[in-house]
Amino acid sequence: MIFSYNFLQSFFDEKLPEPQKLADLLIMHFFEVEGVEKVGKDTAIDIDILPSRAGDCLSHKGVAREISAITGMKLIFPQVKLKEKGDISKYVEVKADSACNRYTMRVIDNVKVGPSPAHIQEKLITCGLKPINNIVDITNYVMLETGQPLHAFDGEKVEGGKINVRYAKNREKMVTLDEKRHELDKDILVISDEVSSIGIAGIKGGVLPEVDENTKTIFLESANFDRQVIRRGARKLGLRTDASVRFEHGMSTVIAQEAVDRAASMIADIAGGEVVKGRVDIANKKEESVSISFTAQDVNNILGVDIPLTEIERILRSLDFKIKRNKSSFNVEAPLFRKDVVIKEDVIEEIGRIYGYENIEPKTPCAELISPKKSSSLALESCCLEEMKALGFTEAYNYTFINEETASFFEYKGLQEMEKPVSLDYKYLRPSLLPGVIKSVGENEKIVDKFSFFEIGKVFSGVKERKVIAGASFPSSFLEMKGVVNLFLERIGIKEVSYNPSSRNFLGACAEIKHGKEVVGIIGEVSSKTKKGMGIKSPVVVFELEMEKLKTVREDSVYNPINRFPGALRDISLLVPRETKYIEAEKKIKREGGSLLSEVSLFDLYEGEEIPEGMKSFAFRLLFQSNSRTLSSEEVNKIRDKIISSLDSVPEWKVRK
Amino acid sequence: MKEDNIDLLKERFLQEIKEAKTAEERRKISKKYLDKELSAVFRTIKELSSERKGVLGRKANELKSFIAEHMEEVSAEEEESVDVTLPGKNVSVGRIHPLTQALQRCGEIFSGMGFSVVEGPEVEDEWHNFDALNFEHDHPSREMQDTLFLKQNKRESLSSSEKLLMRTHTSPVQIRYMLENKPPLRIVVPGRVFRNEATDSSHEINFYQLEGMMVGEDVSVANFRAVIGVFFQKFFGKDTRIRLRPSFFPFTEPSFEVDISCSNCSGKGCSVCKRTGWLEVMGAGMVHPNVLKNAGVDSDKYRGFAFGVGVDRLVMLRYKIDDIRLFYSADARFLKQF
Repeated sequence: MIFSYNFLQSFFDEKLPEPQKLADLLIMHFFEVEGVEKVGKDTAIDIDILPSRAGDCLSHKGVAREISAITGMKLIFPQVKLKEKGDISKYVEVKADSACNRYTMRVIDNVKVGPSPAHIQEKLITCGLKPINNIVDITNYVMLETGQPLHAFDGEKVEGGKINVRYAKNREKMVTLDEKRHELDKDILVISDEVSSIGIAGIKGGVLPEVDENTKTIFLESANFDRQVIRRGARKLGLRTDASVRFEHGMSTVIAQEAVDRAASMIADIAGGEVVKGRVDIANKKEESVSISFTAQDVNNILGVDIPLTEIERILRSLDFKIKRNKSSFNVEAPLFRKDVVIKEDVIEEIGRIYGYENIEPKTPCAELISPKKSSSLALESCCLEEMKALGFTEAYNYTFINEETASFFEYKGLQEMEKPVSLDYKYLRPSLLPGVIKSVGENEKIVDKFSFFEIGKVFSGVKERKVIAGASFPSSFLEMKGVVNLFLERIGIKEVSYNPSSRNFLGACAEIKHGKEVVGIIGEVSSKTKKGMGIKSPVVVFELEMEKLKTVREDSVYNPINRFPGALRDISLLVPRETKYIEAEKKIKREGGSLLSEVSLFDLYEGEEIPEGMKSFAFRLLFQSNSRTLSSEEVNKIRDKIISSLDSVPEWKVRK
Repeated sequence: MKEDNIDLLKERFLQEIKEAKTAEERRKISKKYLDKELSAVFRTIKELSSERKGVLGRKANELKSFIAEHMEEVSAEEEESVDVTLPGKNVSVGRIHPLTQALQRCGEIFSGMGFSVVEGPEVEDEWHNFDALNFEHDHPSREMQDTLFLKQNKRESLSSSEKLLMRTHTSPVQIRYMLENKPPLRIVVPGRVFRNEATDSSHEINFYQLEGMMVGEDVSVANFRAVIGVFFQKFFGKDTRIRLRPSFFPFTEPSFEVDISCSNCSGKGCSVCKRTGWLEVMGAGMVHPNVLKNAGVDSDKYRGFAFGVGVDRLVMLRYKIDDIRLFYSADARFLKQF
């Protein structure tokens, strides 16, 4: 809300600090100031009043009270003196539904409508309101002063002199002061006279009983309405007004009476009318103050600073709290307009902020020397980050959501949908990181020649979430990526994984990565069809691994003493049909080789000339080594021959001599 | 053969070297003298009497080492002649995402002060995300324009612990942790959070938060100032100052905003801090007694502080990044800079 510096000054005899200085004080003890700007001879101060204090501080009086508490300057509120004449019951009769917490009304007769005095107009302009005439300006002025929305009706236009606060009928129509037509329903509270509705309660006045230059009699309404009812009505009508905002946040009903008297006396002074004796006052809701007990020790415990008892007392009194003190025990009552103060922590916050958080010296906490825990899942994650980085992979982030197009491209079914996302790009929770990763390949291919990257993140099956790590590399080949994944798994403590041929609709060559019987992930080359759809040209290989599963099969690394006995190398070249899998030959060699065969590696794979049609050649290098003795040449050759004859025994396989 | 012949050979060698233009030529000349000329000399010497052999042999050997030395000089010269201004060969390493780096750094700083790093789910229920954190039932952030809810059958009839949403902050992990662990507690919670709002250079549908909480029998605002001061000084540099301003959050009482002196202008005032010298970076406060109660902690015995900081914003300030969406773009040109 925008506040007028001159308006605030009117509550003090002493000169207020300069506007910017005042703003700085408010920032440190009250709320954020969004701007300080000169407006004519006045200064507009835009204070971000948070909802917790909207009930009392969307008003100059409320902020002036804060300034008084912060600076210690004496606060002077205007005194209201009314000269009353006649009898209000001859003018108006009021009925109010229980959704109206309080309804007060004053009648001012024989007014002269005209422009309001300059000092009122100036303050309204500073606060962003347009001066209209003295009557409307005074209602707005008093709202700015007290926070209480008021409404002035032309009394002669209120049919039958009867006012009823009731819910509207379905499809009831009304034109508001801004000449907009509204269709109402039974959830919307209205002010009506004998004939029709004349205002939307707590939101906006109707055009029918509008005050104009010929108005003589003013019915001045100062009421309080149920916050939920106002909120619901304002939302239905798409109307947000100074009044509705105040009621929606919940105001105290005590301000209504004070405001109606203040406005009536100003109208009498300025518009020359007479205040009619008596005040309509229907109070449907009683408010009671809460009493809160605390000790100076409580204040010290929470704030961590010793604040003198007298200072605690001064602060709370300046904020209108009632205080009873017995040594260092306090029993206080917050003023009724402070609906936000309910428990002792609320009171201590008041003490703390006015005392000033900058006056609280930092104090290192005293706590047990407990070694912090790190979950095994986070430990694995740090490890993965380190190893992927070492393997030359860069970490990337994608969105948690995918759109319909991506979901159908990857043929995902039964994805968890979001309720009314702001954009359809966030329609589904991602079931895998791979769609995002593959899309990122497409985008990066346009800007760099090659890129290897990975992502760690949550993916979802229905509403169930789990963490996975996925990666992609381009240009790459299946075997290159398999080497990366293998080394990566080994580095994070997972050995002996197997790769089983598998398929996914968006991948070409593809294998499930297994540890024992457990599938821990997948690796595959992105199919040319997928690449075409995504506009990708280079060969791309991707993988995705389940972090939860990796976590359970991880093992600590073990040190093997360096073998000091010399090893012996033997090469074997084997011809097999083209469709034979490498792993079949390797398994056979290992089985025959026994414990002295310590390593098998493939050093050449050859197809083509010199090789019979439909065949391929594997060249194995075998390392024989014992950790207790030097092996003799004869011994090694004997094992090699055993391996060769075993390989040769397979029909269609042939060891090349 | 005379000694003169060897001297002449040396002179000829020096003359040829003098005339040579490149190191390459000098190398060839030296090689020629060593391999051919001197070999011939040694062959001749072999035939001579032992007395002459001694004198000439010594002289020839002296020339041999002289030429060999010269050849070494040539090699050294060649080594130095590499154009060091040529571009180096390209090699590549992986990088860690700047947000991950920041989260790890935060974790390290707080671990150093005894805070455990814990995690929580991204799909949360309304009870943990709002109710337990003392949000009023009609609080505006529970509405769909702010929060991303999951589509569920008959959602209206579900209880708040059944209604699912994408967590709007990491604070529900406070509740989860307190329900499972007894005070004293010290935790930080890094994680991805979600808001149902249109994206622009400073807003994202998903972003990162670091939540922190310390609960014990004797934890105060003064303690919070000390802990958070250490954190920001380690994160942004030892000259960083902090200030607390009053604010309001449903789950803390008292509540504050934490400002740090502007990392761009050291508090002098610039466009980054809108000339105020301060940057608002964190919401914090003393844990509301209702929150402690909801999480099964005796609020008469224990109290504590809690805070939440937007990690994207910290990193944007640290590197002067002007668009939050870059973090989620997987753009190699962006990622390779960290």
